Amino acid sequence: METKKQFKWFTIYEYEKEQEYLRRMHREGWKFRKVSGLGMYHFEACVPEDVVYQLDYNQEGLAHKDEYVQMFRDCGWEYLQDYAGYSYFRKAVSEDGIAEEIFCDSESRMQMMERVFKGRMQPLLVLFCSVLIPQFILSLTVYHCYPLAVFLGCILAIYLLIFASCSAKYNQYKNSSGH
Amino acid sequence: MYRTDIYLEGRVMDPHIKKVYVPMTETAFFILLCLRTPNHGYGIVQRVEELTAGGIRLTPGTMYGSLSKMEKDRLIRFVREEEKRKLYQITDLGLEVLELELKRIERLYKIAREVM
Repeated sequence: METKKQFKWFTIYEYEKEQEYLRRMHREGWKFRKVSGLGMYHFEACVPEDVVYQLDYNQEGLAHKDEYVQMFRDCGWEYLQDYAGYSYFRKAVSEDGIAEEIFCDSESRMQMMERVFKGRMQPLLVLFCSVLIPQFILSLTVYHCYPLAVFLGCILAIYLLIFASCSAKYNQYKNSSGH
Repeated sequence: MYRTDIYLEGRVMDPHIKKVYVPMTETAFFILLCLRTPNHGYGIVQRVEELTAGGIRLTPGTMYGSLSKMEKDRLIRFVREEEKRKLYQITDLGLEVLELELKRIERLYKIAREVM
């Protein structure tokens, strides 16, 4: 069977983009098999089909996995895998052309974002404030170690970019859902 | 009086609960409505499809999140597990909240009918 690997990087709030990416691949005849490592997406050749991919982020669900997955299965969703706290599901678009989603109101979509924030953003923020910023200041003022300062500065810049893109995404979502 | 309380059958409902659940989402509404008898998430999805002749299809992500949240808020309680499916039932608090929501919807409906 023909297979294909692609490296893709999605930031924390880009799970919608990721869902669209997997759907597009399936429509082009590449069925998602798994994601591993730092974002290596594995596919296998298939008959092109319109299949909806959905990501949920629910730590409580992961803690009660049997029961959690069962509810999705009952509703016709195929459970694929967990990756970095996300659970991956897919379901073919029905014959009447209805592309179902796993959330049906804006409130539950916002709650999912909040879970992502608590699970993934908060630890980053803590690390950022308690380690990166103090080390950066120390390297400049106490150690006078400029290569280290440049290195830490770059990491800080990357972090700031991630935070900015995440909060932009969050606000965009909040506004579009009318909150 | 340090807060506006809602008195129901002589008891006081936590204002936080009222703020969160009145008004409530369609999913929360149907969960409370269906859990007057014990049922699991998918059972509720099926029951709602029957009741609305397929008009409303609840989704598992929303359903799972709502059930956990409502259990934490004690609107529903866990009864038992059957073949990997958790069965829940409405609590007295849940019934009170459902009653408040019904009154709210009724009031809106009456106003709209008078005006239209």
